[in-house]
Amino acid sequence: MAMATTQQQPVQHIQQLQSTNPVEVYSALRTIKNAIIGSNAKKTLYYQLQIIPHVSSLLALDDTDVQIRVQATTIVSSLAHKGEDVAQQLVDGGVMEALIGQVMPGTDAALMEASERALNALLGYKAIRMGAEEHTHTMVPYLLSIITEAKESSRMFEMRMHARVELAVLILEKLCVTEARQFTVANTGAMDLLAPLLQRGYPRLQVATLRAFAALSYENMEISRALATVAHDGRVFPQLVAELARHSDADVRLHACLCLANLSRMRALGDARAVLSVAVPALAKLLRGSDVPRLQVIEALGYLCHEDAEIQMAAKNAGAVSDLVAILAEIESQDGADFVDHARNVQETRAVFLALGTIVSAGEECRMRAVESHAMAHLVRALGHSDDGVKAAACLCTQYIVRSVPICRTHVPESGLLRPLLALVRSSVTSVQEKATAALINLLPDFSPLRADALKEGVVDVLARLVESEHVTIRRNALWGLRNLLVGADDDTRRQIIAHVSVARLSTLAQTGDKAVREQAAGVLQNVTAENEVGAQAVFDALGAPQIVELLRTLLASEDSAVTVHALYLTNNIAVRERSLCELIVGDRGLLQTIMDYARSPVSEAAIGALWCINSIASHRADSDSDDSSEPRFLAELEAQNVQSMLETLLSDPGLCLGVRDRVKSCLDYFSSPDM
Amino acid sequence: MTASSAKQTISLDEWERKMHEVPIAKSDLNQLIMNYLIIEGYKDAAEKFSEESGLTSSVDLGSIEERMQIRFAVQNGDIRAAIERVNDLNPDILDTDPRLYFHLQQQQLIELIRQGKAEEALEFAQDELAPHGEEHPELLRELEKTMALLAFEVTGESPLAELLDFEHRQKTANELNAALLAAHSQPREPKLPALLQLLAWTQDQLDEKVNYPRISNIVSAVLEESGKDTLNAGSTPRP
Repeated sequence: MAMATTQQQPVQHIQQLQSTNPVEVYSALRTIKNAIIGSNAKKTLYYQLQIIPHVSSLLALDDTDVQIRVQATTIVSSLAHKGEDVAQQLVDGGVMEALIGQVMPGTDAALMEASERALNALLGYKAIRMGAEEHTHTMVPYLLSIITEAKESSRMFEMRMHARVELAVLILEKLCVTEARQFTVANTGAMDLLAPLLQRGYPRLQVATLRAFAALSYENMEISRALATVAHDGRVFPQLVAELARHSDADVRLHACLCLANLSRMRALGDARAVLSVAVPALAKLLRGSDVPRLQVIEALGYLCHEDAEIQMAAKNAGAVSDLVAILAEIESQDGADFVDHARNVQETRAVFLALGTIVSAGEECRMRAVESHAMAHLVRALGHSDDGVKAAACLCTQYIVRSVPICRTHVPESGLLRPLLALVRSSVTSVQEKATAALINLLPDFSPLRADALKEGVVDVLARLVESEHVTIRRNALWGLRNLLVGADDDTRRQIIAHVSVARLSTLAQTGDKAVREQAAGVLQNVTAENEVGAQAVFDALGAPQIVELLRTLLASEDSAVTVHALYLTNNIAVRERSLCELIVGDRGLLQTIMDYARSPVSEAAIGALWCINSIASHRADSDSDDSSEPRFLAELEAQNVQSMLETLLSDPGLCLGVRDRVKSCLDYFSSPDM
Repeated sequence: MTASSAKQTISLDEWERKMHEVPIAKSDLNQLIMNYLIIEGYKDAAEKFSEESGLTSSVDLGSIEERMQIRFAVQNGDIRAAIERVNDLNPDILDTDPRLYFHLQQQQLIELIRQGKAEEALEFAQDELAPHGEEHPELLRELEKTMALLAFEVTGESPLAELLDFEHRQKTANELNAALLAAHSQPREPKLPALLQLLAWTQDQLDEKVNYPRISNIVSAVLEESGKDTLNAGSTPRP
């Protein structure tokens, strides 16, 4: 009987909410409130008993008693902590409008505070923040008025005022979820208004303010640059934040570093010292501590180090690389253990690999440090992880570590990396496949000891199939992998690739579709025809003369400079081998003219490519290519295009870059031969 | 020669003279006392002290009363009342601090066991604590230990006895008080105990290097000249 009563109580409480007696309603709300706060199980129970429509309707009624409103609003706030789906149901039930009405001036102070807590909780979810567009313009002025009132107030120490200012700043932070809203808030003068709060000496308020600044400046160059000039008490914002990055409170330090990271990423900091000597060491130290959620620190470190070799090096010097690897070891030691939050460990593992990948992306020293810290073993283990996010992150980290030629030659062969990586290349999960193929690319160049093993494992077949993937990035990566395989490849490998992918298919891929795919396909064609005549002959056999010429014309006419450079070298590779193939090119005046035009290009890479073409055409002799005494075979055609004159004009240009100048001179050697 | 005679010795006079050269502002002393009174919750004393010292408090003295009522509720074993008061004061605290919430629920379970309400305790553990432990595996070890109270008769020697000790209520009360203070950017602990700990540690460090008048009793704070006792203990009676 006692059990039944316990189960019936929640039902009775819900029924009481419909009572006409406000005392009963208040009592029921209070009981429900105290049951659900802190307890997800009770939140679920009352959610299933349809608490949301009841509280929504209570808040929607104009004549609902203030005390009842406070309790109902607190229930909304607590339910919002349950999760995004519950929060969305609350919003769909119309609570936002009620809450905003309850924060307007003139409302009961306790109700205003409860409403701000509820708004803060609801806006904790991105989807709800994004959907709050219509409310932003109403809320922002109100929030700023709270901050204005508190700015100079001596009553800031009062608990209620303190809480309200903190909540107002946190809500403001959450509203800055799009670029447009960032500008909406920034244009109200919020930055100057918030700056003094950084020095009010209340850590929670300082953290809230730093979060607001971070949200305002996130990925926004204009606001970041404006923020860098905001001043208070004779110091500019970066100085204020750099001081806070040394605060005794770990939360303050973390969020100060996040602000500095935002400014750094947007190149808004004129002086990098604040980042290098303050933020990086601060984050490295937080990584070793336990005062703040480690996941946030790892993500902040990764964000700060993104695409900045100097900061990456500073992170390595601060011990971040070895500390990140140590975290991996710690998490692995907890595998299968009881009393461990494995879900959090998975998130941290993912974050560590992403951050580590970022730090080692540019610099050899950083990569070596990672390897010396035994990162390879963790990487290989992570490639077999059950979580796809971890696998993808591990692939990304692998991709950057194996950029190092020495590491590729020494540490990678014994690591056991190849098989698990190839398994992921075959994964059915797109995100994993993308990252795995990107990592594989770096293991296939001619200097890589794993190349031979990869060929034995059937990598050509795998990549050839992926060329037909529906995902652009995977197609691109597969082509890139094939391109790398072709450099220094033996004839068997070259023929194998041609057989699997087909010249016709490569030709189509090089001319149509996504830019990145076209570039790589053109690169594959270039490499297929390089080094000897096998590839060039295969191209001729597959396409025939007219199609080859058409292919070259199309590729050379591309607006993408990467494609045209590949096309020039493809032309060169075709021209240099057999006279008969060279005739195809020389025989087409338009093609020849295009080559001449590229020889004069201000882009040195294109000019050099074109000059190689001219060099190759000019190298063929009338009788035998090996007989230097016989005349250049295609002299007349070249003279008809005024090639010599063009070369001489180029040479006379004092601004000509060295690489181009050398090529021009080599070409002119053919024209200055006594045989001519 | 004894080891102690190799160390420098500072006389009481010299020590006291050097101490007097260190400036300590009265306002700093007052702040320390005020800090202690506020954090420990002596509201009336804090108000009186503020009045008499002329010290303007940077802390909301009104909130002390609320915190102390919550603290007394926990110390008296009325956890439900404490939770209700916390939720009235700041409903976000227990929703955003699962460890604190768990410890309060754990204390409530302990009170039910202490009152001999085994069936109610079991139901409470199943309904309230077990789901919480599922969501937060890092708390499961503590949960297991607490559940063991239901399975075993706890004697004074039992490792579980500390849970039933009234000291555990104090520990829970302190944790809750610290969370309430932190929610309003107030320090979690008073500074005076830390200063006394620093004193004890510093004296331990100095003991290895020098003979000096040390404070052995922090309540009396009397400087006891060292070296005298050491000398007496080491000397050989002469005929």
